[in-house]
Amino acid sequence: MSQWLTLLQKETLEMWRNFKWIWVPITFILLGVKEPLTSYYMPQILDAVGGLPEGAVIQIPTPSAAEVLITGLGQYTTLGVLIIVLTTMGIIASERKSGVAAMILVKPVSFQSFVTAKWAGSALLMWISFFIGYLATWYYTGFLFEWIPFDQFLQTYFFYALWLTVILTITVFCSAALMSPGIAGFISLAAAIVISLVSNTLSNWFEWSPAQLTAYANEVLIGQGISDHSLPAGILAVVCIIVLLSLSVLIFRKKELAA
Amino acid sequence: MDQLANYMPILAPIAIIQLILLITAIIDLVRIERTNGPKWLWALIILFINIIGPILYFVIGRRSN
Repeated sequence: MSQWLTLLQKETLEMWRNFKWIWVPITFILLGVKEPLTSYYMPQILDAVGGLPEGAVIQIPTPSAAEVLITGLGQYTTLGVLIIVLTTMGIIASERKSGVAAMILVKPVSFQSFVTAKWAGSALLMWISFFIGYLATWYYTGFLFEWIPFDQFLQTYFFYALWLTVILTITVFCSAALMSPGIAGFISLAAAIVISLVSNTLSNWFEWSPAQLTAYANEVLIGQGISDHSLPAGILAVVCIIVLLSLSVLIFRKKELAA
Repeated sequence: MDQLANYMPILAPIAIIQLILLITAIIDLVRIERTNGPKWLWALIILFINIIGPILYFVIGRRSN
């Protein structure tokens, strides 16, 4: 356990050294906060940009706070996912390429703790960045529109974070299974897009899909309460994470022993 | 100008974190040995492309040995 903590510490230290602890949270803040700001200032923006014919009257209905927050959260499932995948796609693949992994694994470090510590490090970064970013979005939405109850904020944070963790784990798995970080990133992005596309279009058949967690979170925000399907979806997400992590340990061990 | 003063409490925090992002990117660019592509180009991108410039640099510009 103490060995695992040391590895995790090394992971977080490395993320400090390459400034991930600074730029990822800031990016998440800017991603989310953009949404309430632009919807609040849309009339002024249109005025300032101009180009409208004289006397044109545009009535833009003021969106509700929940709608604004939902579109803000939508940013995290698109651009946020992109950033998560791009920052984690190399964590195992590039270390193996550069030989750092071999250097660490010469010491009596188990493959299991090596992979899971890496996963935990990037998951920690993602959870904290997402929390800070979402908190800022929530604050701005409350400030400019209406306050959404804080418990709803926490519930939706939990739902979205679970789905993002599934994507993160897919990326770690690809990174362990493939040699090149680029291909790993591409495949995990494609997988995330396909999973969410399929389960969102055929939402009646895939009520248990982890990708549906975001839809259930949005239902909470609209005020429909927590859906009954969110429990199986959440359980399946956790199972997916555990299975993918153990698979990546397995594949990584096989590859590393072969190399 | 009046209007701008009204917006300040809302926009100032965002401007500040954007500035932090820019400064960290520049510090990192100065300290790093090599980047993907020429260094001066990254400096221009970070300085002149708002928000996206520094993020782009961190995502694809850094070359991890």
